[in-house]
Amino acid sequence: MLWKRQIPILIATVVGLLTLFGWFTNNPGIESFVNDDATQWFDILASFAIFLGALNLMKLQGRKVLKQHSGWQYSLFTIGGFIFAIVAGFIYKGNDAVAWGFHVTSKGTLFKWMFDFIFTPLSATMFALLAFFVASASYRAFRVRNLEATLLLVSGIIIMVGRVPLGSSISSWFIMYLLVLVGSIAANIKLQDKIITFGVLLGGVVIVTIWGSLAGWPVDQPSIFYLPMLQDWIYNNPNVAGARAIMIGIGLGIFATSIRYILGVEKSYIGE
Amino acid sequence: MVAGGLALAFVVFLLAGHPGFREERVVMFLAINFMAGTLIYYIRLAQRGEDFYLRPIPGLKAVEEAVGRSTEMGKPVLYVPGIMDMDQVETVAGVIILGHVAKMTARYETSLNVPVSRSIVMKAGREIVRESYTMEGRPDLFQDDMVHYLTDDQFAYAAGVNGIMVREKPAACLYMGKFYAESLILAETGNSIGAIQIAGTASQAQIPFFVTACDYTLIGEEFFAASAYLSQKPELLGALKGQDMLKAFVTATILLALLLRVFNDLGWIDWNVIDFLTVQ
Amino acid sequence: MMKYIIELILSIGKVDRRWIFLVIGLAVLLPLFFPLGLPIRATNATQRVYDAVEELEPNSKVLVSFEYGPSTKPEIHPMAIAILRHLFTNGQKVYVTCLWPDGQFMAEDALTEIAEEEYGLTYGEDYVLLGFRPGNEAVVKGLVSNIRKLYTTDARGTLVDQIPMMANVNKVKDFDFIFSASAGYPGTIEWVQYAADPTGVPMSTGTTSIQVNDVMPYVQSGQVKGILAGMPGAAEYEALIGSPGIGTSGMDAQSIAHLVIVLFIVFGNITYFIETRRAKKY
Repeated sequence: MLWKRQIPILIATVVGLLTLFGWFTNNPGIESFVNDDATQWFDILASFAIFLGALNLMKLQGRKVLKQHSGWQYSLFTIGGFIFAIVAGFIYKGNDAVAWGFHVTSKGTLFKWMFDFIFTPLSATMFALLAFFVASASYRAFRVRNLEATLLLVSGIIIMVGRVPLGSSISSWFIMYLLVLVGSIAANIKLQDKIITFGVLLGGVVIVTIWGSLAGWPVDQPSIFYLPMLQDWIYNNPNVAGARAIMIGIGLGIFATSIRYILGVEKSYIGE
Repeated sequence: MVAGGLALAFVVFLLAGHPGFREERVVMFLAINFMAGTLIYYIRLAQRGEDFYLRPIPGLKAVEEAVGRSTEMGKPVLYVPGIMDMDQVETVAGVIILGHVAKMTARYETSLNVPVSRSIVMKAGREIVRESYTMEGRPDLFQDDMVHYLTDDQFAYAAGVNGIMVREKPAACLYMGKFYAESLILAETGNSIGAIQIAGTASQAQIPFFVTACDYTLIGEEFFAASAYLSQKPELLGALKGQDMLKAFVTATILLALLLRVFNDLGWIDWNVIDFLTVQ
Repeated sequence: MMKYIIELILSIGKVDRRWIFLVIGLAVLLPLFFPLGLPIRATNATQRVYDAVEELEPNSKVLVSFEYGPSTKPEIHPMAIAILRHLFTNGQKVYVTCLWPDGQFMAEDALTEIAEEEYGLTYGEDYVLLGFRPGNEAVVKGLVSNIRKLYTTDARGTLVDQIPMMANVNKVKDFDFIFSASAGYPGTIEWVQYAADPTGVPMSTGTTSIQVNDVMPYVQSGQVKGILAGMPGAAEYEALIGSPGIGTSGMDAQSIAHLVIVLFIVFGNITYFIETRRAKKY
């Protein structure tokens, strides 16, 4: 019981307090421990722990193949890939002119070939899935359900279009005409009066046309309707303000949680 | 009394020349001690029986519903504790919530699948799940391979979890921990198989993706509050209350600092509060 | 007629998401084969990075850190290439470190393409690849205190003391500028918190689009001088240095893809409106 509860909590408390308050001391030994050694100890532990994970992975996948559980064919790929990586990393260099260790990044080695022609395309493909998933998620989720959802939708569209070169090609006058159209549709839905709707539409078009003619139709003026300027403002102001607020909350949450671990208030991470 | 004694000792230490102490960081030192002291005060208050109101968080109420749904459908619960290691506070929080979820799956006899991205998380997760099953009186239902390692690589892990989702079709998918770009890949795949999804993360950039694709999302501090909510232990609830008080204190400090900075800019006072608050 | 149009809209609104994937795929693919040549306008954030690099005196020591891998290569590699071009054109000395193991592969590729093949520079005199070291922010802290404690050899196995351009370079403060090409953790934020801000060495960064939110507070406070935000940022920087590359060629595809997503969203809302009104009616 002592080894499974009190000692782990004591280790967490001592190391936690040392790391927390070590930042306030100018003792070289403590500074070195806090800045370098503590992190490196963890990295060494995590590096050796990889053996546990790898053995577990091979055990599970191997059992799936031997007992021919459903989907066992995929496990063959896992085992094959694992063995191939071991061979490329530790057994066969492919380029005898290169020393072990440097063969990982040197040209002409099997490991570099595996990185360039298997790992890189696979990683890029998985990341590329995000493009499709963003589209389907946006299509499903961006609905004008209430005021907040509408704000999210409108700002999302402004940033998506304003951020790319296409947005800088769209004149602010086009946006103004679009707003006149949206305004007249809203007036029609609200007031259900054809005359008022037509009046709003005609009036808006006339005002924008006269204004534009007098101004000479500059693409980026008035800047409040120029998408790149608008997206810049949204990005730098409400977006960052919200992000900062969440960051402060998260920071406090991390602080409070860490203090709970350090003081031994929260013990669940070693079991109850 | 203890706090007063420590404060007095520190004052004496400072006046005695503070050997080994970085004077330029004294503001941060005092802030940390004040904040830790506030948390300890409210923890003590809760341990003495004080009741604190906590607003309901739908995402946490939904965890038991999700496990119940899986039980009814005869499908497993998939739990993803993030892709980082135990040196991240979020991962530790995720593993603690795993313990609570494991109690539910033990109680309802639902199968639990926890693919992890780091070996140390695998070991910690196994211990917590084993203990949860034992506490529920169902050690027979626990298997080591419930918590299993996939790979360290971010997108290989996402591909592996996606494969598990598409093949095993879990009825509930819980994402609790630190996530990066793979968050939307996981959540969209979970959505496509019709699973109920509950996410919790303090990874600010991933919160919008989880909000869009999941049924419930614990945002930021709600995620860290989850263990207090689920366990209802007085000390954890007290710490939550203390955290809220600290937020009020930080807000007040920001407003006061703003005011003082305005006065400084107008030339009414010489003292620049930003220099005082800037951490060296 | 109106009823027919509404029914058509509603049926399209229930379309299988794989059709959406197909349309997005075409929207990205076709502009790559048939470029539109849309004009690229640099934002303030990108301009600040350019100005910060341009203001450096010739022969300045610049630390460039590669913190990305194959998955984020399409977004970050173009900006890393553009930054290296800018630095080498202005005659700066470039020191490359990597906080990610994958970053070393990316750095090798970038340096081979730009330093070796394009500019014909000399390794060890004009640029050096120090390589990857494990430890996340501990590496940054180590560089701040003593580079030689972390790097006894460079990525090619040469002793650091034998590399001519490493003379008198012992810690981060000996550099004139830092640039971090970052896709996550560890990355820009660790460089700001542990290196640039405490030492006062000016710093800029290039990150993935999703990470910009996290870094923006540091840019606004002046701790980071500008930011290259994703592939648009890379394309803008390429336009500023007058050297269009992969970033520029990807922008047409990104523009059309964004437009298609917006059209899907608008279409989805039209469907939602029609369904809501019908539900209210019945």
